[in-house]
Amino acid sequence: MNLVQIEHILAVIGGIAVFLVASVALRNDWKTPGMDNQVFKLMLGLLALGGVLAALTGFGVIGKA
Amino acid sequence: MSVIAEHGGIAEHIHPEPQGFVRKYIFSLDHKIIGIQYIITAFVFFVLAGCLAELIRIQLMNANGGFLTPDVYDEVYSIHGSAMVWLVVIPILTGGFGNFVMPVQIGARDVAFPWLNMISFWIFPIAGLMLFSSFLMGAPVAGWTEYPPMSLQGGAGTSMWCAAIFLVGVSSTLTGMNFLVTMLKMRAPGMTFTRMPLFCWGQFATAPLLMIATTALAAALAALFMERQFGVPFYDPTKGGSPVLWQHMFWFYSHPAVYIMILPAFGIMSEVISVFSRKPIFGYRLIAFSSAAIALSGFMVWAHHMFTSGIAPYMQLPYMVLTFVIAVPTGVKIFSWLATMWGGKIHLTTSMLFAIGFLVLFTFGGISGVFLAAIPFDLHVHGTYFIPAHLHFVLVGGSLMGVFSGMYYWFPKMTGRYMSELWGRAHFVLFTIGFIGTFLPMHYLGAQGMPRRVATYDIQFQGINQFESICSFIMTAAILIFFINMIYSIRNGKPAGHNPWGARTLEWQIPSPPPYYNFKRIPSVYGLPYDFTEPLPYKHLEEELSDTPVAVGAH
Amino acid sequence: MAVVSIPGGGEVDQLYAETRELRLQGFLLFLVSDIVLFSSFIFAYLYLRNSGQGWPPPGITRPSISLAALNSAVLFGSGATMHYALENFKRGNFSRYASLMLCTIVLGILFLCGQAIEYTTLYVHDHVSWAGSGIFGASFFTLTGMHGFHVFCGVCYLIVLLLQSVHGVYDKNKYFGLTAGTLYWHFVDVIWVVLFSIFYLV
Repeated sequence: MNLVQIEHILAVIGGIAVFLVASVALRNDWKTPGMDNQVFKLMLGLLALGGVLAALTGFGVIGKA
Repeated sequence: MSVIAEHGGIAEHIHPEPQGFVRKYIFSLDHKIIGIQYIITAFVFFVLAGCLAELIRIQLMNANGGFLTPDVYDEVYSIHGSAMVWLVVIPILTGGFGNFVMPVQIGARDVAFPWLNMISFWIFPIAGLMLFSSFLMGAPVAGWTEYPPMSLQGGAGTSMWCAAIFLVGVSSTLTGMNFLVTMLKMRAPGMTFTRMPLFCWGQFATAPLLMIATTALAAALAALFMERQFGVPFYDPTKGGSPVLWQHMFWFYSHPAVYIMILPAFGIMSEVISVFSRKPIFGYRLIAFSSAAIALSGFMVWAHHMFTSGIAPYMQLPYMVLTFVIAVPTGVKIFSWLATMWGGKIHLTTSMLFAIGFLVLFTFGGISGVFLAAIPFDLHVHGTYFIPAHLHFVLVGGSLMGVFSGMYYWFPKMTGRYMSELWGRAHFVLFTIGFIGTFLPMHYLGAQGMPRRVATYDIQFQGINQFESICSFIMTAAILIFFINMIYSIRNGKPAGHNPWGARTLEWQIPSPPPYYNFKRIPSVYGLPYDFTEPLPYKHLEEELSDTPVAVGAH
Repeated sequence: MAVVSIPGGGEVDQLYAETRELRLQGFLLFLVSDIVLFSSFIFAYLYLRNSGQGWPPPGITRPSISLAALNSAVLFGSGATMHYALENFKRGNFSRYASLMLCTIVLGILFLCGQAIEYTTLYVHDHVSWAGSGIFGASFFTLTGMHGFHVFCGVCYLIVLLLQSVHGVYDKNKYFGLTAGTLYWHFVDVIWVVLFSIFYLV
């Protein structure tokens, strides 16, 4: 197993973990009031998206080498 | 003394009264002192940049030039434009009048972040000195717009110019944030957005422009600086970059900057015209919302400065149409002011004279702006004297007239004394004659094809240019009168009392000059400040002019 | 002194609540202007990229995508730990807050290390540099470098916040500094989502 493969696998694991954690956090915070929490929710959503992107890149589905 | 009144739901992080000259007048946290600091500094830069303008006019007395070398001429007009835009008009209208008037008008004791306010002021004179110091190392020669590739080739002064404008931009951005938070969060109880004085609406529309547009300019300047100093290719076409990219990024800032320079002046007009016509402002909501509409649409028209830069025709058309659309909210304002004056009891004070001058000259400049938005006409006159004619009509006939009107109007509030009305009238008459004589013929010169930014010109235009130069000397004399009048009146003017104009906004209900805490008790507001037949729409203002001590509470 | 409750906290005095509101809005506006700064450079990048030279321009090697993906996962992970650090602080669980905060800082430093590896590889192995590789070098190194600088500032900021909270500057009701730190860190993450997409994925 070479370095690139290790990086791919870690990216997949990390991306999925981030997606799960961010989704759970987003669901827990869904009803919190206040402007800071609204921004947090937006950013958690984008963070989950980022996790998905990282995982898909690790799978080699998207991205150009 | 700690000043904490019992409050009605507005933040009271008021700082203690400063002691000692330095804390009180140099590194002051008080928004009123900072506003006056801005005004004084901007006037100093105004004198410097005005001298550069006179150098330009002396050079143009003769078709073959001869007074300045062409290189120095390029430096002079570049710094003249940059200084007038970034060091005079923008700081005086936002940092100056905005700081002095806006917090009092919304019934607050200071801006939201006094420290930030002080920092944004102190960045500004440093940046100004940096801008003028670029003369020592070969000032920029590509005009105030600094289009590459020419700006990539200039002397080291161009990098200095980048740094200076970047710093002014930081100062503007901080001011914009500060004002926005102040107006969103610190209005007095009852001061809803639809009861806010129109000057504050002007500032409220300007603040996001300051914040967003100026940051975009910072990016463009940083890229230009990196390209000049480190050779990072953004704009140089020989390395794959694009000079048009600079134009996009620059005008994405600089078109909203046009509105940064005019929206606060619109606000001053709304106050002055209503007060000196003794009539409620006509169409309060229309004026307020048209400010917001202008600010919003100001972001969508930048490419109308670039019709000759080779952008695709399908992109040109929407920009042309949107630019025409901006004329609509502006026209709404002009007609609202005319309707306010209609049938009013007009007091022709100097301030009002400048407001009327504004209406005439700005409308003229606005109409030539609509001409320029039309692509066929723009292709014909782009890069000719028609452009300086238009921009001086809106910037001098608009913004600067607004500044003068505001100075005569708020001078009694700043100092407790009037400026001389007689000399004020002389200032107005000479200035208007000189201004029209200088810039009206430029339309003709531009239509005839006299190119701008060139040190020598065709001999057939010499007569008109000499006439313009003489008129510009009259304008300079008028400004000299203004400064002498202002400096003399600070100590020797006629005492004015707290409300010499009979105005109804909050800043006139407290002593002149206002005490550092502004209000002994934060007032409550229950109406618009423009209805001259009704009693004042404020509560809790009874003690402001009496000797009762400030309500003190535990901090 | 009037008392109001703020979301997520107990009861605090009104002066604090109002000051907090001002600071929150000021901080959000600062982030907005920072977004505009990044957007301007992103606009410049997209404009240059579509100026007809093809992408990447001839003779340029793109950076390794697997390293970038791993690095992104690291940075996004630090966003998640930061979120739970603040949550734990709000609930008064200080030890867990401190360890999560430490995690965030370490992950942030790891991201910077990853970026350093990426830059070194590009420079030494592929001879791609900031000033010498045309518009690719200009836009890639300027944007990712600017982001890296933001991450660096964020790491310093978080270290200061951690030290402050160890010294008891913040308590269960007054923790605006931590909110601001979390907002800033999330902002840095979210900018990276955009930069990662436009530099590596398309």
